[in-house]
Parts: sequence; structure tokens; C-alpha cells
Amino acid sequence: MELGQVRYFVTLCRTLNFTRAAEQCNVTQPAFTRAIQRLEEEFGGPLLFRERNLTQLTELGRSVRPHLEAMLQASEAASALAAAKRTGVPEHLKIGLGPGIGAAAIAGAVREVSSALPGLKIHFEESAPASLIDAMLTDMLDCALLPDDCDLPERLNRWTLYEDQAVLVLPPDHRLQGQDTVTARDIMDETILLGERCGGFAQKLGQTTGFSLRLQRCNGAAAQILDLVSAGLGIALLSNRLRIPAPLLSRAFDEPVLARNILLTAVAGRPQNLAAANFIKLCRAQRF
Amino acid sequence: MQTAPDQNTLQARLDALCASRREIATWNAAYEQILATLNHNGFFENCLSEGEKFPDFVLPNAEGRLISLSETLARGPVVVSFFRGEWCPFCRLMLAALTEALPEIEAEGATLLALTPETGGLALTMKTYHQARFEVLSDVDYGVGLAAGVVFQVPKLYRAQLMGSRTNLSIRHGNGGWFLPIPATYILTPDGIVAWRFADIDFSHRPEPSDIIKALRSLRMTA
Repeated sequence: MELGQVRYFVTLCRTLNFTRAAEQCNVTQPAFTRAIQRLEEEFGGPLLFRERNLTQLTELGRSVRPHLEAMLQASEAASALAAAKRTGVPEHLKIGLGPGIGAAAIAGAVREVSSALPGLKIHFEESAPASLIDAMLTDMLDCALLPDDCDLPERLNRWTLYEDQAVLVLPPDHRLQGQDTVTARDIMDETILLGERCGGFAQKLGQTTGFSLRLQRCNGAAAQILDLVSAGLGIALLSNRLRIPAPLLSRAFDEPVLARNILLTAVAGRPQNLAAANFIKLCRAQRF
Repeated sequence: MQTAPDQNTLQARLDALCASRREIATWNAAYEQILATLNHNGFFENCLSEGEKFPDFVLPNAEGRLISLSETLARGPVVVSFFRGEWCPFCRLMLAALTEALPEIEAEGATLLALTPETGGLALTMKTYHQARFEVLSDVDYGVGLAAGVVFQVPKLYRAQLMGSRTNLSIRHGNGGWFLPIPATYILTPDGIVAWRFADIDFSHRPEPSDIIKALRSLRMTA
């Protein structure tokens, strides 16, 4: 398979018109048609119906289209980043973070993109999954890290990045500080701070065990919950991927294990800007 | 350098592995289908060849850093080698041979970059397994493989064979397209031109490390 053939096919998918697609690719129509035929030979069947006034994708064409678009974008992103490293074009990288999901795990990938693209403007948005999804669909965000228990529309590509497990966060003088691991029974009489934007581990604990827990609700993100734990208002169940600032302590919570998968999501088929395309590649390449 | 006796060459080990696999009828049929498909569709015409400029790229390495071809070329010639993945026993033999040959490759002033479409930390698994000191890069979504013209869609029988051995490329690649590169190896001059190429549609055929070193040596002589 050849880059030009794939580029022609992707252009043809958008225009559904051989003449216009050939013009857009700056190639003569016979050469364009030949390239599409070669690609069809490679895939073992017609990718398009060629009817007099109508060009339409066949089922095979529809099934290979998203993969060929992804390959073309990957190819362009790899070579464009190489060019941008030389020319220094300013770029934006806008990443959404779902409830209780920190940036610590992906910070290394952001650093890499930023050092390849000096002048990169980095923007994080922490919010509920529904509003991050809206923001991606309306092109206000490039991608988002979301928990796997939210409803994702078909239009989003998703890749599992890592498993997020709850840890118990305690103030330094807490009676459980001497334990390496903590179970649900250990915290039945404790006040558990339940942040609306903290990953929902405390709700999950209640549902899984059926225990009636002493929950203190507060409409805040992880940073505010940590402040309240420091002030002695209660303890909290937060992601093990968050950095817990000293002197607060974190203890493994192992009965029951409270976990969720964190997905990297982005709108399928939409060309990503250079920073986002390479950020997504870096994240997908790694094991977290 | 003396050519090693036949039975000690990488290709001899690959041939022995291939012969043992071919005794399994389903594997053999899947293998034959790949060869027949790629032979039929004139695959080679699309592969980059000697004298052509290799497209510049930036890709993530096994440790999560971005590696740039042009910055690597600034240090001297580069050997770019495409691998199918950590799951492939032919690739494992080749990577072991390259790991062994690395000091000689580096002695010619060259840098080796191994590219694989695998994601999710599998490049690091591969690198760690071989204790390789060269870069293993993730060619996510086959972008560089496509630009080099070395990528093909895995035919049905081989796909079924892989699924049967729990090798799901759509999970490993994070892409449901089921593409793979042929095991092509390129030697690039410091200005990014292909000086030497090994490309074969048969994944059990790989370049002999001694041939790579020989090609690097002659490149150094003519520089």
C-alpha cells in the first residue's frame, strides 16, 4: 500500500467525486483512477460503486475508510512534527480530565510534545464526562481522559490507558496510619468525604459492600477534598494516580478493590492538530 | 569479515523455524496466502527503494520519549528496521541477532531504530526481553510504515491463525485495521537517502546482520 493511494482514497471518500478528488490531489484523473484501482486490488474488492451520477462507498470501502484515515493522519503527524521541530509553529494542546483523573500519568507525554513544539499552549479542563464529550465534539478539546463507566458516543475513538485504583487518604495523625492496607470494615465508623468530581470511589464502596457509610458530600474536586482531609473533616478515597501532598498519607485499599479503567478518547475521523496527534500517539505507545 | 557457516546464519535459524511451522497445515495455508496476496498485487513497486528520500518522522520510543529521524541522522547513518511485533518468533530471532550485532553497527558510526506497530508498552516489553540498547519505536497507526510503502492488510487466514493463538492485533495496535509491515530494513545516509534496502514479502526472510554491517562499511568507504 502506498501513501499516495491512501491519500487519494481518503480525499475521494470526502468528495465522492473522481474529478474533484483528482483535482484536489493535483493529479490527472487517469492516474488517480489507476491508484484507486491498485488499492482495490490490494483490498481484494471494489471500494466504491461507480455509477453514472453517483459515487458511493461499498461495504468494504466503508470498513477500511476509518483505518486508512487513521494511517494517513499518523503518517502526516509523524512527518509534520519533524518539520515543526525545525520551524517552531505555535500549537495548542487541550486535554479534558474526567472526575478524579489527574494529569500526573500523562505529564511525561505532555512534556515530550511541548519540548518538540516550543511555544505550545497547554490547556487542561476538569469536568464531568458529558461536558468533556460535548467539548470534544464541538472541537473545544482535542482529547479527554474519561472513566470507562461513562456513556461514550460511537463517534469517539477510545484506548484504555491504565487501571485506576482507589487509595485511602488520611491525615498524618489518623488511627489507621500504622496499617499498610485498609479494608471497608476499618472505615465503617469514619467520615468519608465524597467529592462530586473525585472518581466516585466512595459511592462504589457503598454499592459493593451494602454498608451504610458516613458520607460527607461536598461539591469539589480532588484538590479541595485533600484540603478538607488535612483540616481533619474526614478521610477520602481517591485515585492512586493522584499525587498526595505530604503530610497527608495514602494507604492501599484492598477489600474490596475499587477500580476503574481510564480511557483516552478523541473524536474519530477528525484530523487532529499536530500537538494532539502526537500526544495521543505517545499515550497509546506506552504502558502506564 | 568472514561469512559465517550456513547453519549459523540468522536465515538458517529462520528457515528452521519456518520449516517447523509449515508442518502445521493451517499455519502453512495462512503463510502461503500472505505470499500469494502480496506477490499478486505488485507490493514491491510501492516500497521505498535505493536513491529515494526516506520521509522524516518523529515517533515515541519504548520509554515514552519522542525520537526524531533527522536528529538521529545528524549523528551519522541510520538503520531503520520494521518489525511485526513482540508476538512474532521470526522478529524475536532477528532482534536477538541485531542486539548481538549492535556493537559492530555502532562501530560503523550508525544508529539502529527498530519500528513496530505495537502499542500499550509492548515496545518496552520487546526491548527489555532482548536487553536491547537500540531504540524500539512505536509506529502508532502505521504512519511511517505507510510512508515507506511497507504496510499491508493481513489476509483472512493469517488473521484467523493469529486470533487462534490469542494474538489480537487490533488490541495490540489500538487500531482495528489489521495491518502489518513487511520486515523491511533500510540504511539511510546522513541526508536521509536510502543507500541500501532489504525488503521481502516473506516474513521469514530477514537481512543478515553481517550484510547490514557490510553495507554500512561500504557507505563509510564511499563517504
